[in-house]
Amino acid sequence: MSENRIQLQMKKLQDEGKKAFITYITAGLPDMGKTKEIIKAQEGITDVIELGIPFSDPTADGPVIQQASYEAIQAGASLRKTFALMEELRAEGSDQPIVFMMYYNTIINYGLKEFADKCKAVGVDGLIVPDLPYEEQDALKDALASYGDATILIQLVSPISAERIDTITADAKGFIYCVSAMGVTGQGGSYHKDVTEYLKHVKSVSKIPVMMGFGIRTAADVAPMKDVIDGAIVGTHFINLMREAGFDPKAATEYADTFKKEFV
Amino acid sequence: MNNKAYYGEYGGQYVSESLMNTLNEVDKAFEEAIHDPEFIKQYHYYLKQYVGRETPLYFAERLSAKYGTKIYLKREDLNHTGAHKINNVLGQILLAKRMGKTKVIAETGAGQHGVATATGAALFDMECTVYMGAEDVKRQSLNVMRMEMLGAKVVSVTSGSNTLKDATNEAIRTWAKTAEDTFYIIGSAIGPYPYPKMVKEFQAVISREAKIQHMEAEGRLPDVVMACVGGGSNSIGMFADFIDEPSVKLIGIEAAGKGVDTNEHAASMAKGRPGVLHGTRSYLLQDDDGNIQLAHSISAGLDYPGVGPEHAYLHDTGRAQYVPITDYEAMDALMELTKLEGIIPAIESAHAVAYALKLAKEMDKDQSMIVCLSGRGDKDVNTISDYLAGKGYLN
Repeated sequence: MSENRIQLQMKKLQDEGKKAFITYITAGLPDMGKTKEIIKAQEGITDVIELGIPFSDPTADGPVIQQASYEAIQAGASLRKTFALMEELRAEGSDQPIVFMMYYNTIINYGLKEFADKCKAVGVDGLIVPDLPYEEQDALKDALASYGDATILIQLVSPISAERIDTITADAKGFIYCVSAMGVTGQGGSYHKDVTEYLKHVKSVSKIPVMMGFGIRTAADVAPMKDVIDGAIVGTHFINLMREAGFDPKAATEYADTFKKEFV
Repeated sequence: MNNKAYYGEYGGQYVSESLMNTLNEVDKAFEEAIHDPEFIKQYHYYLKQYVGRETPLYFAERLSAKYGTKIYLKREDLNHTGAHKINNVLGQILLAKRMGKTKVIAETGAGQHGVATATGAALFDMECTVYMGAEDVKRQSLNVMRMEMLGAKVVSVTSGSNTLKDATNEAIRTWAKTAEDTFYIIGSAIGPYPYPKMVKEFQAVISREAKIQHMEAEGRLPDVVMACVGGGSNSIGMFADFIDEPSVKLIGIEAAGKGVDTNEHAASMAKGRPGVLHGTRSYLLQDDDGNIQLAHSISAGLDYPGVGPEHAYLHDTGRAQYVPITDYEAMDALMELTKLEGIIPAIESAHAVAYALKLAKEMDKDQSMIVCLSGRGDKDVNTISDYLAGKGYLN
């Protein structure tokens, strides 16, 4: 069985001594065709694409991603259609590592086994489920386990996870997603007061790369933490940027290129 | 999996990692508090001297005579602030103080839980912010004013459907950001563990009193106990001390809105499927993609697309039965109770009364039922007047 695309990419970056760069875009904003173009425009530049599956009640997201989610649903986006998009992407030869960021109800509604089957079939490499904390993950992990590491569950840790960090990171796969601030996505650079100490803690116990997300816009925003993180995730800012650019895929390429170059 | 967080397959803690330690702290503090005689003494002091408990178990004479069975009303409408919500707010706010929190937040639909929380915050000198859907802010302007008079900040939420579900989303987001100094007071029997347990604990006073009162009046247990169910706080309180009394039939009344076969109802047990929302796994109204659907009820307090996890469990095990009542049936019952007994109930509570009058016809004159009159109808006079004028609904 081939290795997971995220794990392969992480290993490659580690070998080359490079940082990872991850962007987030809501699937179906403004439509699935544009989403596909925006993903393809980052192939070979952005290391992992986080693809948000829109949900009616995104409690872990701030206003920008809430609005994106709402508009995507209004435009007809759904998990089924995002699976179809994935099928097209892989059929067209894309080897871009892709994780779904989604809420647990969307998964339960699809059916855990059916969901795991479909993720494997269409090449979804990872999952980020913000309302599924460590204690509630067994059922989903069991469903995914039938395909080994085809689709891995990414673990999140927060600035107040404290003693939970050791447990959560122990059997984590792919990378650790460290949220930089308490609360929801997109809070414009106001990190938690103890962010560096916390990132150091995660880095010291984690066997896999550590990514930082929430409130990041440019490589300069993460420059102060670059010694304790292996990569950065940009979500809210990326959506704002795409909107301003009228969802022009070229803007995605340029932004990713710049961030990658400056983030060393 | 944290087994104690579950009622069968329902419940759990479906929240972001940022809130997990907070929930553990709340759980630990709550368990300590309810085993601390000082805390319990303090809680009961305020229930008695501030809320005005115990509330009467009133024998509805004219209603009983007309419908041919003994109908008792548990008068939660006589509580300070006009509904059962205050019972739980005082419990949680005393816990918040005990934990050293200085701020409280709450979500509200009709405004009753918001008013109760603002009241408790005024009493205990805490900073209070209430999240309320923009639609509800418009149609419950009187309650908005009450909250502001009490010193609370009311945040009008404009996301999604602009109602209770969205206000709850916003309260959860704020909580995740501010949990280090803020306590989230949830008003319904929903939310991540330990919230459903806390709400039940602090609302159980309803059935604890009613059981003794009925025993005094009739010398035995009631045959049936019933209450309306939105998120399920007054009903879980009304059921609590009767769950282990197999001879007592438990009935929860859901809002059927314009009918369970229309798209406008709030009957999550009758028409929903299990899913995860607001931190808990339970029955939910949802579409084919798993997106949450809008609920509808003439009563803002029942206008919620989910239900508390213990109710889902009581439903599946058959211990409690859940039945739908439409807007029309509820409004007819509201008028009937008003005219026969001189009690204007909240439209929420009128749903329970409506089913009581239906069921009474199948019972005999020696049998007895308790209906939880969860709140008074003062807040609903605009809705009632529009309804009577044939202008339809505010919803």
